[in-house]
Amino acid sequence: MKPRPLPADPMIAQLVRQARAATMGRRTLLAGAGGGAAALALAACSTGSATKPTAAPDESDSSKLVRWDNWALYIDVDDAGNYPTLDAFTAETGIKVEYTEAVDDNNTYFGKVKDQLALGQDIGADAVCLTDWMVGRWIRFGYTQELDQANIPNLKNLIPSLKDVGFDPGRKMSVPWQGGFAGICWNKEKLPNGLASVEELWGPDLKGRVGVLSEMRDTMGLIMSDMGVDIAGDWGDDEYFAAIDMLEKQVSDGQVRNIKGNAYKEDLINGDTLAAIVWSGDIVQLNAENGDKWEFVVPDKGGTLWNDNFLVPIGSPHKANVEKLIDFYYDPAVAAEVAAYVNYITPVAGAKEAAMAIDPELANNQLIFPDETTLAKARVFRTLTGAEEQKYDAAFQGILLGS
Amino acid sequence: MAFAAFSTSTSAPEPAPRRKSPIALLLLLPGILYLVLFFLAPLVSLLLTSFQAPSEFGDVGQYSYAFRWENYVDVVAAYWPHIMRSFGYALIATVLALVFSYPLAYFIGVKARPWPLLQSLMLVLVIAPFFISFLLRTLAWKQLLSDESFVITSLKALSVLGPDAHFTGTPFAVIFGLTYNFIPFMTLPLYTTLERLDLRYLEAGSDLYARPFDVFRKITIPLSMPGIVAGTLLTFIPAAGDYINASRDFLGGPDTQMIGNVIEANFLVLQNYPAAAALSIILMSVILVMVSVYVKRSGTEELL
Amino acid sequence: MSSGEFASAGADLELVGIQKRFPGFTAIEHLDLKIPAGSFFALLGPSGCGKTTTLRLVAGLEEPTNGRILIGGTDVTHQKSFQRPVNTVFQSYALFPHMTVLENVAFGLRRRRIDDPVAKAHEALRLVELDHLASRRPQQLSGGQQQRVALARAIVNRPALLLLDEPLGALDLKLRRQMQLELKTIQEEVGLTFLHVTHDQEEAMTMADTVAVMNKGRIEQMGAPEELYELPRTAFVANFLGQSNLFTGPVVGSTSEAISVDVAGQKIVVPAARAHRHTGEVTIGVRPEKLTLHVTEPVGDVARNTMGPGRVIDVSFSGVSTQYLVEVPGIGTLIVFAQNMAFGPVAHEGSEVWMSWNIEHGFGLEDDASAEPRFEADDTTRSIATQKRSSLLTELEGA
Repeated sequence: MKPRPLPADPMIAQLVRQARAATMGRRTLLAGAGGGAAALALAACSTGSATKPTAAPDESDSSKLVRWDNWALYIDVDDAGNYPTLDAFTAETGIKVEYTEAVDDNNTYFGKVKDQLALGQDIGADAVCLTDWMVGRWIRFGYTQELDQANIPNLKNLIPSLKDVGFDPGRKMSVPWQGGFAGICWNKEKLPNGLASVEELWGPDLKGRVGVLSEMRDTMGLIMSDMGVDIAGDWGDDEYFAAIDMLEKQVSDGQVRNIKGNAYKEDLINGDTLAAIVWSGDIVQLNAENGDKWEFVVPDKGGTLWNDNFLVPIGSPHKANVEKLIDFYYDPAVAAEVAAYVNYITPVAGAKEAAMAIDPELANNQLIFPDETTLAKARVFRTLTGAEEQKYDAAFQGILLGS
Repeated sequence: MAFAAFSTSTSAPEPAPRRKSPIALLLLLPGILYLVLFFLAPLVSLLLTSFQAPSEFGDVGQYSYAFRWENYVDVVAAYWPHIMRSFGYALIATVLALVFSYPLAYFIGVKARPWPLLQSLMLVLVIAPFFISFLLRTLAWKQLLSDESFVITSLKALSVLGPDAHFTGTPFAVIFGLTYNFIPFMTLPLYTTLERLDLRYLEAGSDLYARPFDVFRKITIPLSMPGIVAGTLLTFIPAAGDYINASRDFLGGPDTQMIGNVIEANFLVLQNYPAAAALSIILMSVILVMVSVYVKRSGTEELL
Repeated sequence: MSSGEFASAGADLELVGIQKRFPGFTAIEHLDLKIPAGSFFALLGPSGCGKTTTLRLVAGLEEPTNGRILIGGTDVTHQKSFQRPVNTVFQSYALFPHMTVLENVAFGLRRRRIDDPVAKAHEALRLVELDHLASRRPQQLSGGQQQRVALARAIVNRPALLLLDEPLGALDLKLRRQMQLELKTIQEEVGLTFLHVTHDQEEAMTMADTVAVMNKGRIEQMGAPEELYELPRTAFVANFLGQSNLFTGPVVGSTSEAISVDVAGQKIVVPAARAHRHTGEVTIGVRPEKLTLHVTEPVGDVARNTMGPGRVIDVSFSGVSTQYLVEVPGIGTLIVFAQNMAFGPVAHEGSEVWMSWNIEHGFGLEDDASAEPRFEADDTTRSIATQKRSSLLTELEGA
């Protein structure tokens, strides 16, 4: 199932994996934070523009191409390094796909392309998969093209709960690619009794051994849910800042060891953290690679459900091709093939049944094909306005940066 | 020996006649262009950005040109602990690097002089870590010193560390990382100075009743001052602006964040470009002031 | 030397059975030397003869392989250099470039916690007439000034023994003469024991009370400069200290007063007291300025030796005197220095001449004339390599 064979030694394998991710991170950071004031200069040129760009004319009929930017390890790969489902798509439609693992982080990716987007230029991608809230921001800014649902007949397979979301009413601009839960996980060897709620992470026996995610909506969503807030519902500053206070207390008391993005996995592996707020798909992978050491659960009081969604950037001339691509992946059989590989939740109804035919054990994995009771516990963090986003992000970053 | 009398004369040689050669100007052009394009323009842009104000009805990351000097007050008020921490960590790391590097550089540059092969070998060992990515090495340390690692569990078993103690995510880990990563920048300039140290001065000191420690303090140290100044600057400046070691993904934790991390978070996550720019300007200015004072005080102005 | 006080006067230096080996070669074979307190002693020899090693042994910058070093009767063999009541004026001066002239001079005083080091340093600078440059850096001074600062830096400590390592080597001739006089004056004023190492025989003779000529790690001859010059014991001394005309031949007659030597058929008489060997093959000699040049064969005189005829092959005029090279068949080339008493040279190139000298001026050497010349040139590959090695090692040892 692994895309590229990693060295056998788990520590080395881990290092190589981290380095892959980190190199990307460092390169993009260097472009901005450190010495690359030039990036700031570019940023400065267009940050004030309020006029929305217009969509590029579609050339899909003459140009049979889709350039797809996606996250790492997010599609099926065979041992030769080919993408079987993409090859099948090209064979079926004659549309060539340039697939790039260009998305490392929602913010970083946005930082790279936003100036071209603001000018309505082609960013070199026709389809991009980004997380709900970032998709919401693109839509707010007018950086996406409206999809023609008539061209995507298989969209009928989209599971009903995702058909209408706050950031994109009626799914006019975006279509889910893969989703996942944020919940809690623990090391089964060290914590044989397990955990049931976020509150138990704050227990004295876990002091200094708890990790939380640097993704604001997931960490805050779980803490707020634990405090009894319906994160998909109508909540405001009081609820949010009560949760911020709780997190700040746990961090300053040393209960929380660290706040990380993708790198939280290393802390679980090397034992720096014994329990953490995590993403479901990662735990499936960790258990596969490092022995079945961790248990994941969506807390009864609520976890978060998030999706990464296709969108078509405003400057792309291949919207119709992208629509064909989306339609292809909404075929339950294709969706099952991808799900079997990436271990995340597929938004395509009927994929579970299709997966049954391939691998029944996989089809029964609650983290890949969750049933109604699991799904009922997970909530989607409500859409924030621009002002809220700035305020809440700043408060959350304040904790990440300490004082 | 009539000419011997002239040999001690102090008349300075005639300065070479100055000619404005068009060729010389042409040769300077790429350098000037480079500086304007890649230093001056970004600096001006950075300065302009640092005074930007949020756009009216603007969304995340939307700012317009203004003269909002309060940006500087705001970032200093919000992030002064990070600024202090950056310089504190960088200072400690620089001192540690100096303490570790000096004996090493002295050994390679002075004691190992009769064995050039040993000198080369040791220099290669000093530089060797550069052949592996800085990130990979830092991550390796994070693994080696994680809670369940051999090192930490052994130290706990020996009661050197308390049962709840840990290494990663602590200020100690960040300073350790800074010291480790920048130590070659200290060792190499020290080595180049010590390698040229004229040992006859040390003999003269010993002849003038200076004990070995006094010889070191009064002669070796002052004579190696250019190397010490160069090494401390090469260590301190990048260490103060470093955001990798202190990053939560590497050796740092929420309470060890340095100014580089704050700039990174403001730039990439919060998309608060004016704050990031203002912090960058502050970082640059403070370093510039500290370096000038330091170089002036240490009497090695020729380095500037 | 205890801190806080000066040595009351110069002290004796005694080297007993000193041997110094470096890996691969021996710098000093066996050296016994005694320098009385208050004297100005010069160690003279070509480079690589071991004189600098001797000086470094005395300074404590090297440790002898064997033997003992005594200063004022105290065994200092195992004392470190900073513990010895000795100061050195280095050949390179080694003035600390990061200190002012004043601080350089006060350095030793401060290390020994002598009261009022600044005043004493100024005093020493006044002695070398450089007090007005006290606040300069050494590199702002001329070579001669630096040399005087180095001297002030050493003598300000009133060491029992002052070591001078070719301190005038870097100076031009005029300055050198001036410094030689100053050094001598200062030595007489302060009354310290000076050990001066040099390869310049003129310098050694002008300044020192006693000169020891050193060659290949041994002392060839030691004594007052005029004694060494007038009565050299070996061919090395005879040639290193000025120039000599040397002849070899068998002793053909001997009385208690004198010996006669047959030199290629010419009978030369040397006073018995001035000859070290009285039988067999001997080497005898006479200094060039002792020779008188004759254009006609001189009449026999029992008080003078006569040699000739020979042919003048070169004449060079140098102001006060003229040097003639005279080729005598069967003997070789002789050098004659003649005072310019008259205008122009006495003889011309190609003239036939005779030479004579007072019997009392001849000397007989100790060397075995039949042996191969002991003194190979100093610039052979072997000796250059040895010197290089020696300088490298001394540098390392001192670190």
